[in-house]
This record gives sequence, C-alpha cells and structure tokens, in this order.
Amino acid sequence: MRVSFNWLADYIDLPTWESGAVAAVLESLGHEVEEVESLTPQFDGVVTARVLEVAPHPRADRIRVCRVTTGDEPMTVVCGAWNFEAGATVALALPGSTLSGGMQIGRRSIRGVVSNGMICSERELGLGEDAEGILVFDADVPVGDDLAGFVALTDTVLDLSITPNRPDVMSYVGVARELSAYHQIGFRVPEPDFPQVEAAPRIGITIEDPSGCYRFTAREVQGCKVSPSPFWMQTRLRASGQRPISNVVDITNYVLLELGQPIHAFDLDELGGAGIVVRRARPGERLTTLDGVERALNASDLVVADRERASALAGTMGGGSSEVTDRTTSVLIEAAAWDPPTVLHMSKRHALRTEASARFERGVDPALPPQAAARAAELVTQLTGGQAVRQVTDVVAREDKLESVTISLEMKEAERILGPGFDTPRVVDLLSRLHLAVEGEDPVSVTVPTFRPDLTRPIDLVEELARLWGYDNFPERVPRGPGGGRSVIQRRTRTLRQALCGLGFSESVSLSFMRAGEIEIWGWESDDERAADIRLKNPLREEESILRTTLLPGLLRVAKYNYSHGLEDVAIFELGRVFLDRPHPTLPKVPDQPERIGVLATGRLGGTGLGLAQRSVDFFTVSAVWRALSNHLDLGEWRLAPTETAGWHPARAARLMLDGKTVGTMGEVHPAVVRRAELSGRVIAMEVELDPLVTERDHWQFRAPSVFPPYTFDLAFETPEELGADDLLAATGQAAGVLLESARVFDEFRGAPLAEGRKSLAINYTLRAPDRTLSGEETGEALRSMADAARQLGAELRGEL
Amino acid sequence: MATRRDSLEADGERLMLAADRVDVTLPALRYPEGYTHLITSTIEEVCDIFIGLGYQVVGGPEAESGIYNFDALNTPPTHPSRLESDTLYLDWGDPADEILLRTHTSPMQARYMENHDPPVYVVVPGKVFRADTPDATHSPVFHQIEGLAVDENLTFSDLRGTLAYFARKFFGADRRIRMLPNFFPFTEPSAEMHASCFACEGGGDCRVCGGVGWIELLGCGMVDPNVFEWVGYDPSKVSGFAFGMGVERIAQVRHGVSPLRHFFDNDLRVLSQFR
Repeated sequence: MRVSFNWLADYIDLPTWESGAVAAVLESLGHEVEEVESLTPQFDGVVTARVLEVAPHPRADRIRVCRVTTGDEPMTVVCGAWNFEAGATVALALPGSTLSGGMQIGRRSIRGVVSNGMICSERELGLGEDAEGILVFDADVPVGDDLAGFVALTDTVLDLSITPNRPDVMSYVGVARELSAYHQIGFRVPEPDFPQVEAAPRIGITIEDPSGCYRFTAREVQGCKVSPSPFWMQTRLRASGQRPISNVVDITNYVLLELGQPIHAFDLDELGGAGIVVRRARPGERLTTLDGVERALNASDLVVADRERASALAGTMGGGSSEVTDRTTSVLIEAAAWDPPTVLHMSKRHALRTEASARFERGVDPALPPQAAARAAELVTQLTGGQAVRQVTDVVAREDKLESVTISLEMKEAERILGPGFDTPRVVDLLSRLHLAVEGEDPVSVTVPTFRPDLTRPIDLVEELARLWGYDNFPERVPRGPGGGRSVIQRRTRTLRQALCGLGFSESVSLSFMRAGEIEIWGWESDDERAADIRLKNPLREEESILRTTLLPGLLRVAKYNYSHGLEDVAIFELGRVFLDRPHPTLPKVPDQPERIGVLATGRLGGTGLGLAQRSVDFFTVSAVWRALSNHLDLGEWRLAPTETAGWHPARAARLMLDGKTVGTMGEVHPAVVRRAELSGRVIAMEVELDPLVTERDHWQFRAPSVFPPYTFDLAFETPEELGADDLLAATGQAAGVLLESARVFDEFRGAPLAEGRKSLAINYTLRAPDRTLSGEETGEALRSMADAARQLGAELRGEL
Repeated sequence: MATRRDSLEADGERLMLAADRVDVTLPALRYPEGYTHLITSTIEEVCDIFIGLGYQVVGGPEAESGIYNFDALNTPPTHPSRLESDTLYLDWGDPADEILLRTHTSPMQARYMENHDPPVYVVVPGKVFRADTPDATHSPVFHQIEGLAVDENLTFSDLRGTLAYFARKFFGADRRIRMLPNFFPFTEPSAEMHASCFACEGGGDCRVCGGVGWIELLGCGMVDPNVFEWVGYDPSKVSGFAFGMGVERIAQVRHGVSPLRHFFDNDLRVLSQFR
C-alpha cells in the first residue's frame, strides 16, 4: 500500500513528518516499508492558463491554433490535442521552461505560426502515463499560477507491505489509527455530511448466498455528470499508485484507499430489472469483466447479478455491461462485506488480483459499508453535481459478523509469555491505545472492534502488547537445553563426508528433481524402482517435474556442467534423499525417501606432481574410495560381487554387499550412458544407501602391537579368472588365523605361460605372533594351510613352498 | 687421524647436500583436495552454535503431508500458502492427505513434539521446496534451519536473547539485533529478526545491507497455543519459541555468494572456494 504524506495529513497530525522517522515507527509496528519515495515536480516554468479561443491552423489539419492567457496579454500557442475547447484551463509550458525528461521549451514556428510555448499532457509533465490529450484542470483553478506550487506535487510516499492478518491497516485511516496508537495522539475519520433527496430506491438487494456475502449496502445518486475528477484527487490517486479514470471511478478508488472499503459503482440504468441478487454463478455463465476479459464462471464464483445476468465478480472486479461511462447519469454505489476465502479463491482462479480483492481476501470490517457508501455518495454529489437518495438499502445477511468479540486476559498469561512488568496498568494502557475497550483489572475484559478480525484469543492480545511495547524493548536472556550433542548417526555421517573430502571429492548439492526421460539413458527396466518415479502435480518447469529416484542423474548433470565449462577432472559426491514409489517404512501417508550417498568422478584423480604419472579414473579408483570409506567408518563384513546391470560397464561394476545385504552399486558407468550424457572417457560412480553405513556399530577393540619379529613372505597363485582377489585373501587369511597381520596383493598377471582363462595373483603376507617369535615349524604349518585353503578355491600355488 | 677423517666426511656430505638443492617454490606435488559444500558447512556451524546451548539436531521427511506442513501449524485450509502457486504437490498417495514437498522445516516442530515430552530444544536443518522458477534470488529448492525451544517459563526475552546470541556467534561479537513484528500462522507474537550489518555502519552503498545498516535474517516468534494443542501439550503449562532461517541466505550474506544458482550449479571453480 502506497501512503502519500500529503493525503495522510488529512487524518493525523504527526509530531514529525521526517520520512525516516515515520518509516521507523511503522516498521516497529510491523508494517514493513519497502520503499520511501520523494515526489517532486519534474518540470519548471509551467503555469496555468485559460484557453480563450481555438481556431484551425491555416496550413495543417491535425493541429490547432489557440489564444491563451495567463492573466496578461493573450498569446498564441499551437496545439495538437483535441480534448479541449475554449474556456478550458490548461498547463502551459512557457518559452524557457523545462519538462519531464529534460525537454526544453522555446518559442518556435510551427508551419508558419509562432507558438509561444506548449500546452502539456500528463506525460509531458511527468505526472502520469496519459499522452492522449492535454491535461485539463477544473474551471475554478486560478490562472497564471506556477503549477509546481499550486498543487501538492511535492510529496513523500511510503510503500508499505501489510501482513495478511492486518486488513485494517490497508487504508489511510487505518495507517493513521496505527500511528495514533504509537504516538498516543488522536486521528480523524471523515464524517460525511451532504444534501440528500427523498426518493424510493430503484434497486432492491437480495443476498441469496449469506455464506459468501455478509452485508450489502447500496446507495443511489441521480443526475450525475461523469467527467475527469479534480486535479487534487487525481494527484492523490497517482501518488497512491492509481490511475485516474473519471470522477465516479476515481471516487470509488479514493474511498477504498481512504477507508479500506472497496466500493463498486454501477451504471444504474444498465442494470437490468429492478433488483440486484448476490448469488453463486450458474453453470455455463460467462462475464466480461472491466479489463475486457470474458470469463467462464463456475459454481464457486460469487457474482452480483441483475435479473438477467451477472454484472460483477463479487469483491474482485465489475463487469463491462454495467460499467460507469461518460454517458452515465445515475449511479448505484455498492459497499459490501464478502467472505474472505470466497474472494481469495475467485481472484486466484481468475488470476485477477485487484485492490478490492486484496482487501476482501484478508477481511474488510463488516461494520464499514454504510459509512463508506455515505462517504462515496458525498463525494459523488460534490464532484458530479448529482443528488444522493437519502434512502439507503443496507442488507445484513450475517448479523453474527457484526458482533464484537470479547476476550478475557489474565496478567499472569501476559507475563508468562512476555516476562515480568506486564501488569494491569501497563496492559490497560497499551490495549486502550489500540482503541480496544478494556474493562476490569485481572483478568481484563477486552472488547475487540470488528475492524480487527485478527484478535480472537488472549494470545492475540499478548502479541498486541508486545508490538506496541516494542519488540526491541525486551531484555535478552539465553536459555539452555538439556544437551546431548550430535547423535552417532550424525557424527558418522560427518565422518563419511570428511573422508570423501579427504580423498579429493567435493560435495555437490543438487535440486532433488529430474526431468522426464532423464533416466532413460540408463536403460533400466520399467519394473526397476528407479523407473517408478513420483511426479509433481504442479511442476513449474520440465526440469523440476519428477522427484529423483537416484542421485546418479544429478551427479551426471554436475559432471556435464563442469565438462562443458572446460573442467574435465571432476570428483564429486552428494548426500541426500531419493524418493521411491512405496510407503515410508515408519511414517504414515508419506512416500519412502531414504538417504543415499552418491560418488562420481571422471578424468584424472589423485595426487599430481612432476614426474608422477597422471592416472585416469577406472574401476579401481571407485573401489579404492569404498575401501577407504569402509576403514574410516569401521564397517563390518562387506564384499564386492561382480554384476552385470543396466547402465553400468558389464565387466567393471560390482554390487556392494554389507552384512549380507546389497546396499549399493559401484563401477564404471556404461560407455553408452557416458556418451548419451555428453561426457567422454571413463566415468566412475557409486551409489550406496546411507543408513547401513552410518548406523551405530559396536565399538572397535584395541589390538596390542606385537613386540616380536614379523615373518614376511610372498606367495603367487595361479587362479581361475572368475576367482575374486578378495575371496582368495579371505580364504588364505582365515587359514593363517590369528597370526595374520597383513596381506596385500602386489601383482596381477595374465597370458603366457598361463593358460587361457587363468591369471596369477601375487600376495605379500606378514605373519606375527603376539607373544613369541614364530618358529620354522609354525610358519611352515601356516603356509601349508594357506595353500590348502587356496586350492579349495581352485587356486594353485606357483612354485614350491 | 680420526679428526681428519671426520672433517673429510663432513666436507663430502656438504657437497652432496649442496647438489641436492631444490627450488623451494616449485609446487612439485599436489594432494587431492575436496571441499564440503557451503550449505553443509553453514548448517554444521549453525548447529554447533545451538549444540553449545544444549540443543539437539533432528531431521525429517522432505515429502510431507498437508497435515504436518499446514494443519498442525495452525494454517487453515483457506490459507494462500496452500495454493498450488506456492506449494509443490506430489501426485502420490491419497489426494486427501495433500502429499507435498515441505515448504519449510517447521513440520518437524509438530513431528518432534508429538513424540517427545518437554523440555524440547532442537534445531532442524534440511531442504525445503517452493513453487518458484529459478532466478537470481529464487530457487525451487533451498535449505532452512528450524529452531524450537519449549519449556516452562520461556518468554519473548528468551527468544530475543537466543537470536542475539546466534547473531553474535555467526556474524561477529559486535552485532546488535532488532525485531520487527510480522505474521506467521504458527507463532504469536511473530517477528522478523534483523542483525546490524557487519560490513558497514549504515548509510552509503553497502554490498551487504544496501546501506540500511540492518540485514534481514530470519522469521521467528513464540509458539502459537494452537500448535501446542495439536501436539498434545498443555499451552497453559508450557511456552516456547521457534525460528527458521534460510541457509543460503545467511551464507550469501556472509560470503557474498550471488546469484543463488551458484549454490546449485556445483561448478568446481565455486566448490573449491568453499571453506
């Protein structure tokens, strides 16, 4: 809401009008000031002038020659506008004046006629957008005055953002009321006082739908002459962000801004039949609103209708058929109270948010319509010369909405929430300043006027106390909770992150969405859980239309983003939820949304340096990452099982088995997927369920390092191609038993002299006993059982023991 | 003799070491480096501040029901935030349950209180979602940290003191705060908290605060009695406060990361700046 100081001054005498000070007070009351604007005239040297005569230009059809006076000798001015005749009072830019935008006006000849300046439009003066014709003032405007001084064009405007719970502040009177509470001074409300004629109202009002319309007040004014509104009103409306249209329409906007009550004016003669009906729209009914849009209505739309058809969308926008035009002579003024949700949903459905709907959807005071209708009728009689009918039609369908609420507030309740000091005197003082009627001592009984629909409970009054007392006047106190710190899962998750960072992977955070078809490149079957995605009902863009079922597409996107920016070495991980089309294991009603850890790398990884070979990532990079993580997280029994699964390299991917269960997949991404993702080279990835990695585990136990000498030796095994090194290590290690200190593969070899389908694995073992030096007999026994265990797996020792 | 030999050996070693000379400025070796995302490290830092005050850190579901996202938080069915123009709804489950992407971390207030007796001191970091098209200042996904304290005798002063404590820990010891009344359905009184700018003294053309001297940081308030009633607490026995801050917002203010997309593009040249 834009608040002009010139206009606001009608209602309150502030101790200071310094804009910063006024803004600070409003902000402390909860009314955010989005902008402070200083309005100054954008022109210099423009005066009011009277047009004495208008004549055709001798050598041009489209422009005319005017004789004008500023009080002295008449002078000649050439003008291209046609919206005025002799007798009009206009804005004349004299030679030497400057207009909005810096345009300099001089004396110049136009097709042979010397023009002594220029008659100005709104736009040329920087007052508005209208450039159709020139600005014409009211007849009573004095001639020869400096325009910059004669109207209130110098102004300060605050743009306020009013929270949705405070419809009462969305008006000049409302803002004045708030300021009066703060400054503890009075404020003025207009009291309409105008001549009225006795006549039977022509239009009756019927409210068929009390759920949508609480009250409908109608006043009729006859004999109106519709013309532009006076300049002072136009100036105020412009400063408040409204475009002047005509006196009747401007009055409705003026009263809306002044009192917060939206007003609609109908052309009385265009309303069919003798009655207005407030009802829900009929099936198939259509209405062309004032903005020229023909709208299909449905049964939840509330309309103001005459006998035949809908003529306005209730509380939102009028219809074109009953619009006030310059032919209108009789006006029906509507001031109504509508059901806020009805208006909200109507304005949203029709994408039609107006000054009226913005107020009605929050709740306009149902006591206000008669007062506002009177104020509008007063202004219409004053500005159009019309005669107001004394008889007012005021239909109240919902008496209950006019009842004021009484709230009982105990001092201990106020102090329980706000702290000590909120005793009866302070509470009574603060609440009274807000124009609430307060009785009693403890509890106090507070009667809330109908303009404050937000106050219904004691806590609402507590908020008012805090607000008016000033949030910044409360002391600071820091309470302490019982503690407990991070959970084991949180600590282990942090360990996981830090380990990955230590290995050279940077954390990425993606939006949790996929675009339709994004996972198709992986070639997963339709029964795969990753293909059964959850879609958004109301996505804004294709890119954010489906919830991710896997972290892999997001990681590929990040790789692609960096790749296309010339960064070919990418090593990233993401930790986050995926969304699966099945019920959550513990929470009712919501889908399963487990957390996953995803890792992806391409290009080169690892330490770089002079003389060091640059190693490109391959399967062993990702398995090494996993091995490091398993150590950092002290994971129990795990195993990598070769897997051929869609989307992954058929010979370089593994299922990750932890404690006997598959918890993830790792390996090289299938080259076809890499190509379709517009990347190149080898791309490695891993996606693992988070829970099994970070869940609480038994504490690790210390093993004292032995002080006795180690027995270190190498064994080379010839094994079938299918035998996994981990299996061979596990079997031989188990055979060595407690003596095994470490085992490390140091060579893998295929080809002659080995047969096809055979490979050689060379392993370095260290045996050591905790309590003695191993004897030759003991080591020999260990070696034999290790060789036996290997043989069980089809692995033969190469050479002799 | 011995002295003569020692001296020869020392000369020999000297020559050898001299031949070993390296360019000490040569970056001959570089270890791999990975960086924690700024969103994560900001969350961790804020959580650490509150852990120091005796809070616990809890998480919650991102795909939520309308019950927890709105109903439990005193947000009536007619409230505009429930419209499809603001909230992303999922085509999943019973339509009556209004399964959606949570619009704030506040649903965890209700979920946590439902399952725990007071006193409650928790912070809830996590992803939140809005029906926003990405631009310089909007993203359909961002992160929040919710704080909730419920106990006997917590007052507005406890809220104010806690937020001032946070502002000083996060933005520097000299920070002052101001609180302006605001409106949220699930707190009353409700406020918006601003911290004094750490980059300027107000006025001028400050990159951080635009010269206002204050930085808008978060929304907060005293827990509305309706929320207590919904979770089965007696609002006449307990009181409490809640606050919710935007993670990207506070990180952006402190580190100048702008526009917002740099948080989600995951450009390695940006990620490697995160410390």
